[in-house]
Amino acid sequence: MSDGVRSGALRYVLQVLAYGAFAAVIAYFSTSPPYRLRGDNDALVKLSFSHSAQLVQACRERSEAELAKLAPNMRTKMDCPRQRADVLLELDMDDKPLYRIKTPPTGLRQDGAATVYRRLDIPAGRHVFRARLADGPDGIFHFAREVDLNLAPGQVLIVDFLTSEGGFVFIHG
Amino acid sequence: MARQPPGTAHIFLFLEEFLDRIEVFHALQKTGQTAFLSIEKIFNAIFGERLNPFYYLGAITYFLLWIAIGTGLYLYAFFETGVAVAYGSVESLTHGQWFAGGILRSFHRYASDGLVITMLLHLVRHFTFDHHRGFRWFSWVSGVVLLWLTFASGVNGYMLPWDRLAQFVVTATTEWFDALPVIGGSMTRNFITNANVSDRLFSLLSFLHIGLPLGVLAVLWVHTQRVPSAKTNPPRPLMIAIGLTLLVLAAVKPAVSQGPVDMATLPATVDFDWFYLLAYPLIQSWGGKETWYLTVGVSLVLVVLPWLPPLARGKQASWNLAVHPDERIIAARTGETLLDAGLRAGLPMPFECRNGGCGVCKATVLHGTVRLNPYQESVLTAAERASGKTLLCCAEPLSDMEIEYVPQSGAQSLPVQLHVARVTRLEPLSADVMRVMLTPLDGSVLKFYAGQYINIVLDNGEKRSFSFASAPHAEQEIELQVRLVPGGKFTTMVFEQMKVGDTLQFEGPLGTFTLRQDSEKPIVFVAGSTGFAPVKSMVESAFHTGIDRKMILYWGVRRRSDLYLGSLAEQWARDHANFKFVPVLSEPQPEDAWTGRTGLVHEAILADFPDLSQHQVYACGSVQMVQAAQPAFVKHGISSDDCFSDAFHLAPQRPLDSQQADVVKLGGSHV
Repeated sequence: MSDGVRSGALRYVLQVLAYGAFAAVIAYFSTSPPYRLRGDNDALVKLSFSHSAQLVQACRERSEAELAKLAPNMRTKMDCPRQRADVLLELDMDDKPLYRIKTPPTGLRQDGAATVYRRLDIPAGRHVFRARLADGPDGIFHFAREVDLNLAPGQVLIVDFLTSEGGFVFIHG
Repeated sequence: MARQPPGTAHIFLFLEEFLDRIEVFHALQKTGQTAFLSIEKIFNAIFGERLNPFYYLGAITYFLLWIAIGTGLYLYAFFETGVAVAYGSVESLTHGQWFAGGILRSFHRYASDGLVITMLLHLVRHFTFDHHRGFRWFSWVSGVVLLWLTFASGVNGYMLPWDRLAQFVVTATTEWFDALPVIGGSMTRNFITNANVSDRLFSLLSFLHIGLPLGVLAVLWVHTQRVPSAKTNPPRPLMIAIGLTLLVLAAVKPAVSQGPVDMATLPATVDFDWFYLLAYPLIQSWGGKETWYLTVGVSLVLVVLPWLPPLARGKQASWNLAVHPDERIIAARTGETLLDAGLRAGLPMPFECRNGGCGVCKATVLHGTVRLNPYQESVLTAAERASGKTLLCCAEPLSDMEIEYVPQSGAQSLPVQLHVARVTRLEPLSADVMRVMLTPLDGSVLKFYAGQYINIVLDNGEKRSFSFASAPHAEQEIELQVRLVPGGKFTTMVFEQMKVGDTLQFEGPLGTFTLRQDSEKPIVFVAGSTGFAPVKSMVESAFHTGIDRKMILYWGVRRRSDLYLGSLAEQWARDHANFKFVPVLSEPQPEDAWTGRTGLVHEAILADFPDLSQHQVYACGSVQMVQAAQPAFVKHGISSDDCFSDAFHLAPQRPLDSQQADVVKLGGSHV
């Protein structure tokens, strides 16, 4: 076998090794190392709601003098400020605060819904959850609910607030 | 020194720090260049300069994208876009038809992963070699857009199998978008429970996986527009090897789903594709906003890189390049290589890797100065540089210049014109070969490339083809070598009637069979009979231009007397250490007193070179000789890229022994 043929064969071997290395890098990093999403004994609370709070001011009737100052096409009798109140939420777990938030309404006129999403890791097991929500200008918690739940590792508890359902909803599979 | 107000001092401090950072920046580039050149040197040794994957990173990315699109179309045909059926359809595709859908799913994924590697290497390479400034800013910035689109396409793709990884990807992605002020926290709510995910929403995700790759293709097209003659396909051997590699990987490690989505539970771990999801752990641990700051910040830095110091080199906006043999003056923009300028002007400049690794674009600087970007020392030696050689792909002009190169595809750029020439000399070289010297009547100097031919136009309009036997640098006269063919109309006229002072009409130059300077491989010339004529032109041209590659000429004839310029070839061998001459007689007679090689010329070559893989062959002679030699050479390892002959090129279009083929028969052996 000539030197040329030998070196040609060696080059082919090295090429195969290079392509193999390329494949190995792809093979490994396409699945490994695995990414850990939670601790082995953790459960997850997802706090998620979108709620339109009460208006900051109630509607009132405009006086004749006030109406006269407005452009003719703007002379509606009722004055209803669009701004809504902040939403206060407190979520406790086993009588300890788990999460607190005061979130303003969305929108340029602050007349949209207040939206919250939070992911909270907690230890799996039996827990008492208590949620309170205030959505008026007075800041008083008009909505509250308490549940006693046993969450398995990996189980997801969703804490939602739906006016149509009468307030807090705790969803767990 | 006057005391500066505090504000000014702060600005000076900032500038000083900034410039320090620029120094670090340059050091990074320098280190990167050294690293790339070292790795590429190793890969040159393994793959050869023409198949080094590092020189085709962009083209390989293109290729892998096509694989991803092609396989994606198949997968899409079987994929069901309903949220309840998506997982099942992918499972059925993967396991129910593992031999097609399963393999193609894996092929799709691994090609997508591979293109991230090549795309990022492509980006880093251009940055380290400073190929992102000046007029290249457009490709660079559109490349940054491509980065985003590519990652978006890939991430979106991981949502479709609707498995555990899709659950993570879709949740993390929407959480990331929720960190944006306008969106607030409303996007993730669409995926908060299984019931929240509607078929319509899921269909939207699926259609995004068509729209985003289409966006990639569109921007990719824009991205390559500013690169003259951009190669968007790697060489075929690379495509085959990469394709096979990924197919083998698909068979060995099939891509599989990780259990169906269940929003009510969260798995402890997921198998993760780090090529596309590298930023996702940051979203989880850092938070969405911070990840936006990082990714958008990095993107903005990438976008402004072309305008960071140092800015344009010099104030000259462009340089004039006088280019031979095209005899054109073209403009090169500041920072533009000679190759890019030439290709942009439509010149047939030779190139392959465009990265100073293969030497294909080697040319001569006749006047002016260039700045050479980093290149492999092995393809342009210090001696060559000293003698005026340069690499078109690495040389940026620093002044107006005059350069000369050997065109990639012969005479395409040289105009084929009708000439009238006077016969200035007739010299019998043997009993049946006449040397005919011609001089154009208009006194013009005919530009041509060694290896080309002309067509003599007869009175009745018929044409007869003869190769130039003279070299292009011998500008005074054109030499033809005409062999007498019994009964031949023109050759008989040459031998019996033609006299000095006669005029002839001819058209030319013609043909693409020219001497290439794009390789360092030794050259084997195969001449049959008057096939010696173009060889003479090429050999003399090679000597003139200083080509130091090893050259060996095998001249096959029937009898000793047919070696009509054997003494010239022997003289070449005596004068040039890199040249060797081997005459081969096929029908020697006792009176020839021949003690040299006998037999068919190509058989003599094969006896001397059982492995031709490291050689280039230029075959010139009768069509029959070429027809016999080509398959034999291929069997002995010659690559089609290294085998040159007009007859070879004709083969696919015309039968080699046809009338039409004979019209362009080389070496003046026509009647």
